[in-house]
Amino acid sequence: MTARIPQTSRQTHAQPLHPHAGHSKTHCLKILRRLSDYIDAEVTTDVCKEIRKHLGACPNCEVFLTSLRQTVSLCRHVESRPLSTALKSRIRRTVLHALGRA
Amino acid sequence: MTTGARTQPSGTPRVSDAVRFDQLYREHVDRIFRFAQRLCGQEDDAKDLVQDTFLNAYRGLHDFRGEASVTTWLYTIAANACTRMRRKRKGEPQRELSLEEFIPTSEGEFRLQVAANGLSPQQALENKQLRRALQQAIQKLPKKYRLVLVLRDMEGLTAKEVGSIMGLNERAVKSRLHRARLFVRRELSARGIVAPDSRRNSGEED
Repeated sequence: MTARIPQTSRQTHAQPLHPHAGHSKTHCLKILRRLSDYIDAEVTTDVCKEIRKHLGACPNCEVFLTSLRQTVSLCRHVESRPLSTALKSRIRRTVLHALGRA
Repeated sequence: MTTGARTQPSGTPRVSDAVRFDQLYREHVDRIFRFAQRLCGQEDDAKDLVQDTFLNAYRGLHDFRGEASVTTWLYTIAANACTRMRRKRKGEPQRELSLEEFIPTSEGEFRLQVAANGLSPQQALENKQLRRALQQAIQKLPKKYRLVLVLRDMEGLTAKEVGSIMGLNERAVKSRLHRARLFVRRELSARGIVAPDSRRNSGEED
């Protein structure tokens, strides 16, 4: 596992897509369309098997899936600043004032 | 003063509404604020959104019959308020995202990585650069995709709940979610952020 990620995609963008042995680019695209459903375990057993089989034979799609999973995982773990007591009161006052009830 | 306010059997409508409002506010403001922050990206806008949400919630209290959970109801009000709020801003892109634009066209594009290899998401998010990039990516998402991503992947609601909030069927929710995730993935991976070496356990960045 590499410790460092390539700094830029510039050097890698140029290489054309080579079809991997046993499947075409079209198949990769078909798989990519289903990856969110796959990540969320919302595919049928048959589709799951088909995707797994493809991933086993396609390093490109495997890496793509990893980065998509990581993206989802990061979104799920972002923390946000809690609402301060002061701001909580201020918002409440503003709402009640707007309602003519302050 | 809204017309047609119904009298509550137990007392004057104003007293019971005020009590209901305070309870509603106390129980839900933290969650709605968190949602608003995730959606808006900055505290001022989030504050405005929370205010609009509870203002509308108060006004809608009479008509709320408990068809949905209170939480879903509040999320719906907040999402609608966000939609209205954003419309006032000039030049904000609201384009459609097509699946095709995310399909890699080169080996390199397939293999672009997010700076999280070998790290737990919490560890990865210690990287300030990545954290900032993620927030910017989410803010860059057209609103209707951002809403779905935040509701589903950040607030943790089911596709069905998200659909109920946004007036979409589940298939439409999943389709938007996939595009939203692909968008954020592409934004993150294109930044070329370097992850800390997890083997050396270098700890926090910044």
